[in-house]
Amino acid sequence: MTSTLPAVTTSTVPATRPAAPDIVHDRPPLQRLRTSRADLLLCGALLLAIIVVQGWNITDYPTLSDDEGTYLAQAWAVQQGKGLAHYTYWYDHPPLGWIQIAALTWIPAHINPSLMTVGSMRVAMLVVSAASAVLLYVLARRLSLPRWAAGLAMVLFGLSPLSVVLQREIFLDNIAVMWTLLAFCLAASPSRHLWHHFGAGIAAAAAVLTKETMLVVLPALLVTMWRHGHRDTRKFALTGAITACVLIGLAYPLFALLKGELFPGAGHVSLWDGITYQMSRPGSGFILDPGTGSYGVLHSWLYYDRVLIIGGLAGALLLLATWRWSVTARALAGPALTVAILALVALRPSGYLPAMYIIQALPFLALVLAGGAASLAHLVLRRWRGDEEKPYVTWGRRVTAAALVAVAALYVLPHWYDGDRTAVTADANAPYRAAATWLKTEVQDPADTRVLVDDALWLDLVHDGYRPGLGVIWFYKADLDPAVTKTMPRGWKDIDYVVASPTVRRDAVDLPNVKAAIEHSTPVATFGKGADRIEIRKIDESTGNTMTTTTSGGSR
Amino acid sequence: MLTSVFIAAISLALFWMAAFTLWWQMHAWRTPEVLASTRFSRPDGDDRLAFSLLLPARHEQAVLDHTIQRLLESSHTDFEIIVIVGHDDPETTEVARQAAARDERVRVVVDHHEKKNKPKAMNTALPHCRGDVVGVFDAEDQVHPELLAHVDHAFRTTGADVVQGGVQLINFHSNWYSLRNCLEYFFWFRSRLHLHAQKGFIPLGGNTVFVRTDVLREADGWDPECLAEDCDLGVRLSSVGKKVVVAYDSDMVTREETPGSLVSLMKQRTRWNQGFLQVYRKKDWKQLPGFGQRLLARYTLMTPYLQAVSGVVIPLNVAIALFLDVPVGIAFITFLPAVTALVTFVFELVGLHDFGKQYGLRVRFVHYLKLVVGGPFYQVLLAGAAVRAVWREQRGRNDWELTSHVGAHLTEVEAAH
Repeated sequence: MTSTLPAVTTSTVPATRPAAPDIVHDRPPLQRLRTSRADLLLCGALLLAIIVVQGWNITDYPTLSDDEGTYLAQAWAVQQGKGLAHYTYWYDHPPLGWIQIAALTWIPAHINPSLMTVGSMRVAMLVVSAASAVLLYVLARRLSLPRWAAGLAMVLFGLSPLSVVLQREIFLDNIAVMWTLLAFCLAASPSRHLWHHFGAGIAAAAAVLTKETMLVVLPALLVTMWRHGHRDTRKFALTGAITACVLIGLAYPLFALLKGELFPGAGHVSLWDGITYQMSRPGSGFILDPGTGSYGVLHSWLYYDRVLIIGGLAGALLLLATWRWSVTARALAGPALTVAILALVALRPSGYLPAMYIIQALPFLALVLAGGAASLAHLVLRRWRGDEEKPYVTWGRRVTAAALVAVAALYVLPHWYDGDRTAVTADANAPYRAAATWLKTEVQDPADTRVLVDDALWLDLVHDGYRPGLGVIWFYKADLDPAVTKTMPRGWKDIDYVVASPTVRRDAVDLPNVKAAIEHSTPVATFGKGADRIEIRKIDESTGNTMTTTTSGGSR
Repeated sequence: MLTSVFIAAISLALFWMAAFTLWWQMHAWRTPEVLASTRFSRPDGDDRLAFSLLLPARHEQAVLDHTIQRLLESSHTDFEIIVIVGHDDPETTEVARQAAARDERVRVVVDHHEKKNKPKAMNTALPHCRGDVVGVFDAEDQVHPELLAHVDHAFRTTGADVVQGGVQLINFHSNWYSLRNCLEYFFWFRSRLHLHAQKGFIPLGGNTVFVRTDVLREADGWDPECLAEDCDLGVRLSSVGKKVVVAYDSDMVTREETPGSLVSLMKQRTRWNQGFLQVYRKKDWKQLPGFGQRLLARYTLMTPYLQAVSGVVIPLNVAIALFLDVPVGIAFITFLPAVTALVTFVFELVGLHDFGKQYGLRVRFVHYLKLVVGGPFYQVLLAGAAVRAVWREQRGRNDWELTSHVGAHLTEVEAAH
């Protein structure tokens, strides 16, 4: 499922990042982080701010996404003991991601099953965001950033409007990011412990099994580990980490093997087919080519935050370019390389670029940007500073630093304030809630009613008494899943309702059954306006093919 | 259902066993600091202790003289060599007497026991020791000239009662099992023994072991009835709280050779296993103060048997997971021990590389291949030795089956230098 972030802007404001040349940092204190009061206080305070901003209004903004519905419904299936999905699991992604979501939401779902809907279970993502934010702070400190820069990285990562929007959503990428950050933290373990590196390998495997795209980040992880290894023990640590990662990663094909679904065959899905599908997804065009899908995705990111993306990219380039001279650059080699790899992957001319792609880059962009800021601060405040520096020079340094801080704040804060205010106040999901309520109260016999809905609304209807799978149906399964189509011998006539959300209207173009169902139905209730509206359409078997109702609305 | 629970329980038990063994095996490489601490610290050039070096020799006239000459080259200023020979072994006795005639630091003690073994021989020599520290070497050992100075320093700086130096089999190229045998020594002396020293429970090695004379006499020397008298001594001393220090330097280890044939390797391993079993049954380790220490003792002394069992059960387990119809979750659990075994395998490959680097030996691709392919067979051999040891112990047969030496490590050393 492809999706873009909801809003796109057209204005272009170049994000300027000041140059951060070669620098020698103060070495980090030898004191352990968990016993350092200053670190605990700073990290704790920032964490609180992040949780408040990300948590406030989390159910109502941003708009429920189809993918969130997919993963949560599959987590629900895991909780219900229905296997890895309530439809046939077809190796679209490794299942570890929603197995974790199932575990995270287990207790609340047990107490009140109706809480298991996309809106309310976004709260579980707060746990993931909080863990990632803390891990990022730890990583920054382990990579020798000063305390304030580690805090800055945490703020950039947790409070950027782009992060707030994306990290609230139930995306596998967010969970994979948490594992990746854990892997980096372990790779940069100050004690250089063999089993920490081994653990980094395990965490990396968990990240990949959560979201397979994390595979591309592994070389950067290896670089970090290499840099933090010691000559005498490195070969054991690195082979240990690689072995752990490979062995854990092999669990996935092993799982397919045990189920007899490793290779394609008649009458069953297979891991091979799943991978082939993912590798052959139609590309969304070159990211810098206006008019392509990728270009739209890029601009939807930039709409929320330019500083993090452009500043982070510039920072990464700078760090990689000054590798030979700058201590900071070498300390941040892993994160900078991660950003570079992810940028290169996004630049593939024919690649497929989903909106959540940026999620895995967020912590590293933040880290690299904070590192750049630390380098700059050092340049301005300490560089070429002798013992007998004249007071006016010292003051000049301080004034310059203050001015830079003020300029950066003036540029960033208003933008962030707007973005984050929207995030904590806007209600984007009223139409969804209203549609769910309508289907709960207005339909007489839910158990005997068949509805096509998008994945985001699916669990709501399950709780309302619709039959999961064949009563309330993920709309595209009506065309793509043989197990579903065989229960619809008369095609659209075997359906009672279609909930035409923007996603459904957009994808119906390629789905004959869904398209026909929309064409042979009339709206009985409409919530919201314009392209974002949600229509509940009742199938009308008497209608012919010449329906007058508009079926357009979303654009692909 | 019952089958599943049974399989899962066995798999988890095996997994923890393998995981702990791996954890301990990798002890020295945990952090660079730990690795650095396993080495001898540099001696200060001040030799204060007097050494009595015991050299039991039996039908070893071929290598004995060479060993004595090497020992005499030692840089330490105060030591004596006591060669212990049997009254029924005139050839070895002749070599020993000639050496004694050449150098006054060499003395000869004749063991008159009717049934001979190594602990009896050393107990015979113990009253004749004049030094502060008794050291034990084997007749075929290659001892580094600087070793005594380092041991002297280690005794003085750490306040140790016992110092165990490294012993290393070198002739890894001889055949497929010698490769694995060498690596076993490498991991044991390079890594695992340090963990034991740290935890306060240690089965000592058979040579390059140094004990303060008064401590040794207080403990009544070695147990003449035990097939693993070295292990037993370590267990008895550490159980009463004596401090043991282990140090390993690749250029300071005592070089040895692997047994010359599979049969003698089997015999040697049977003897050790039986010895470990005897030590276990003597229950000296029960005096250890800590519960964890006693657990470590129990586990270590039973290792040969656990090894034998796991060698058979792990492949069986994997086969069950693959061919029987068990739930996927259970199947995953059955793979856990195999995963740990694979990790161990990989670390062994890296260990072989490190071994080659440390000793300046050229390890070729074929050796890595042999290590991998030979693994299962070696496992069978170990299992066989374990079963044989239990059988012999049950039948009450505890005579010594001596390992014969051909001197392969000597040429190896010369080739390496």
